[in-house]
Amino acid sequence: MKLWHSFIKELKLSSRGFYFYIELIMAIIILTVVLFAIPEDFVSKDTEYMYFDLPEEMIDEYRADILKDDLDGKAEYVDVKSGKDVFSAEYYETDKKKYYVVKSKAAAIQIAETERPLVSAVMTLDDTGNVHYKYYLQGYETERLKNTYLVIHNLDINLLKEEVDHQVVRSLSTDYEKLTDRENVIPSLLTFNGSLMGLFIIAAYIFLDKQEGIIKAYAITASPVWMYLMSKIWVILLTSTLSSFIIVVPVMGLQPNYLLLLLLLITSGFFASSLGLVIASFYKNMMQAFGVVYLLMIAMILPNIAYFIPSWEPIWIKVIPTYPLIQGFKETILVNGDTTYILMASLGFFAGGMLLFLMANKRYKKTLAA
Amino acid sequence: MIKVNNLYHSYNKDGKFAVKDVSFEVKDGEIFGFLGPSGAGKSTTQNILTGLLQLQKGDVTVAGYDIKKISNKMFNKIGMSFEESNVYSKMTAKENLDFYRKLFDVETREPEELLKLVGLRDKANVRAGEFSKGMKHRLTFARSMINNPSLWFLDEPTTGLDPAIASEIKDIIKAENKKGVTIFLTTHNMYIADELCERVAFIVDGEIKLIDSPKNLKLQYGDKLVEVEYIKDGEPNKETLSTIQEDDIKYLQDIIGKYEVQTMHTKEATLEEIFIKVTGRGLV
Ligand SMILES: Nc1ncnc2c1ncn2[C@@H]1O[C@H](COP(=O)(O)OP(=O)(O)O)[C@@H](O)[C@H]1O
Ligand SMILES: [Mg+2]
Repeated sequence: MKLWHSFIKELKLSSRGFYFYIELIMAIIILTVVLFAIPEDFVSKDTEYMYFDLPEEMIDEYRADILKDDLDGKAEYVDVKSGKDVFSAEYYETDKKKYYVVKSKAAAIQIAETERPLVSAVMTLDDTGNVHYKYYLQGYETERLKNTYLVIHNLDINLLKEEVDHQVVRSLSTDYEKLTDRENVIPSLLTFNGSLMGLFIIAAYIFLDKQEGIIKAYAITASPVWMYLMSKIWVILLTSTLSSFIIVVPVMGLQPNYLLLLLLLITSGFFASSLGLVIASFYKNMMQAFGVVYLLMIAMILPNIAYFIPSWEPIWIKVIPTYPLIQGFKETILVNGDTTYILMASLGFFAGGMLLFLMANKRYKKTLAA
Repeated sequence: MIKVNNLYHSYNKDGKFAVKDVSFEVKDGEIFGFLGPSGAGKSTTQNILTGLLQLQKGDVTVAGYDIKKISNKMFNKIGMSFEESNVYSKMTAKENLDFYRKLFDVETREPEELLKLVGLRDKANVRAGEFSKGMKHRLTFARSMINNPSLWFLDEPTTGLDPAIASEIKDIIKAENKKGVTIFLTTHNMYIADELCERVAFIVDGEIKLIDSPKNLKLQYGDKLVEVEYIKDGEPNKETLSTIQEDDIKYLQDIIGKYEVQTMHTKEATLEEIFIKVTGRGLV
């Protein structure tokens, strides 16, 4: 009951301040951008470099194949720069891809190293007359991406099957439906506008209260300090859930599993705001806390980069909480998303949030008069 | 109501103590005062008694609760008014009290009644952010009474208020005490201590130098002071001197012998003068 009264009071208070509206206004701005400025699908063309180590007749076949899709129906002859060297190549451009066909294997390998294209491939013929693809990668690609290459072109079906069994390559499951590019930005936006803003805003609320000395007055009532903290978290959860739905509903319609989405929003919001509470307990005002909050926000944003650039995904990035969060949000809006993943992520955020919340409670009890 | 034994407190745990070996007892129904200059350790002591600061060393019992194992229930019996007012500036005076009363398990007083008591009835629906310092202080003071506390902590209850309001606050304190409320107050104002407190503790540099009633102190020190006005090097001078302390007696004889004395009469010592005599320090 006291918790409820505290919550209502916090709601009243925050609705009279401006932080309350930041998230909601941000949500509306984001929605506008997503709906009107981001196309359904980006048209960014991947570049592939190839060398055909094949008999002349077969090369001609390939060439004819590519030319069918080529925008102007004929090859151009261009120079490709790679470090200090210049290689001459045939250039084709279809509406999806750019192809460069180089004249030596060495050139294909060197370009793979220096130009970092999506793919640099050398095609050869083996003894049995099957075409083999050999990919030259930079070494920082993910297993998933490597497997995808393996899957696309490996002709040995048995090996393929074995590989697939060993690796979770989610993009291969047959009932998987891809998100459009517009939908694909949603998980990242939810992570930012929902959870991360929660961290920042709850810290701001705490600093406002510290400035007014309010927490001392609360501490000498028959209500425990944790209720004071929890009532703030509830306000954050309410606003971040609201603002998340403002974005998701118009873009995604009925596709998402809203129950699971709500679960993940609440547990991750709990985690983020508890973290905000712990951080705020160490500082007197936002100015002092700014450095730490800023660094934390940057760290939390890194998994976004991995999300949009699949070829960059170092192992350590997976321990940043926003990594499973983005992935989790993605699963909630996918048709046939991975329910187990969402539940596990939610459980993790709840457990971590609980730990942080207990820590915050201890910290605030200790520093009441500060 | 309050029992404190050998209380120490160091903010930075660096061997520098804001409160040193403090022991005292507050009886049921009395007004007990901590009198001392700013920085003496009054607020520190009060914050330990109310659990705002963690107890480091010493034994403290407040309203029957051992402060080591503080319980939220204890706060149903306690009220505290802060030295620096702390109210929600985004809420009106009435909203502040309306919310606050819901945090207790006991019967609470009507916000309107309390606002009227401290002269804020007209301002009930004004946001505290628009209040003057004195008005905020009165709101903080009113709030501390909302749960009908039987033990009331007042940290500098009249500091910064204009005299008319200060006197109203004093009347409220007296009236509450008449109803049986035990009051622990801190002040650096000797008039407050003199007028309100049944007993005062003189506190300087974290140490209690003396505990007695203002009445006893005056009996002990009263009529033993003499005020002389005299001309020295063509300038008028004024001294208040003791008639029992050796140094003062010598000095008085010197003055009478060497200079032209204009007036000289015995007077009752003020609490501040007694404070200076006892502690060697003034109250500011
Ligand atoms: N939060 C704090 N951190 C460090 N020192 C403090 C803190 N609060 C008070 N002090 C120091 O402790 C001493 C006693 O302060 P305080 O109890 O506020 O005195 P009073 O209330 O008698 O004016 C002072 O020297 C003051 O500077
Ligand atoms: Mg003080």
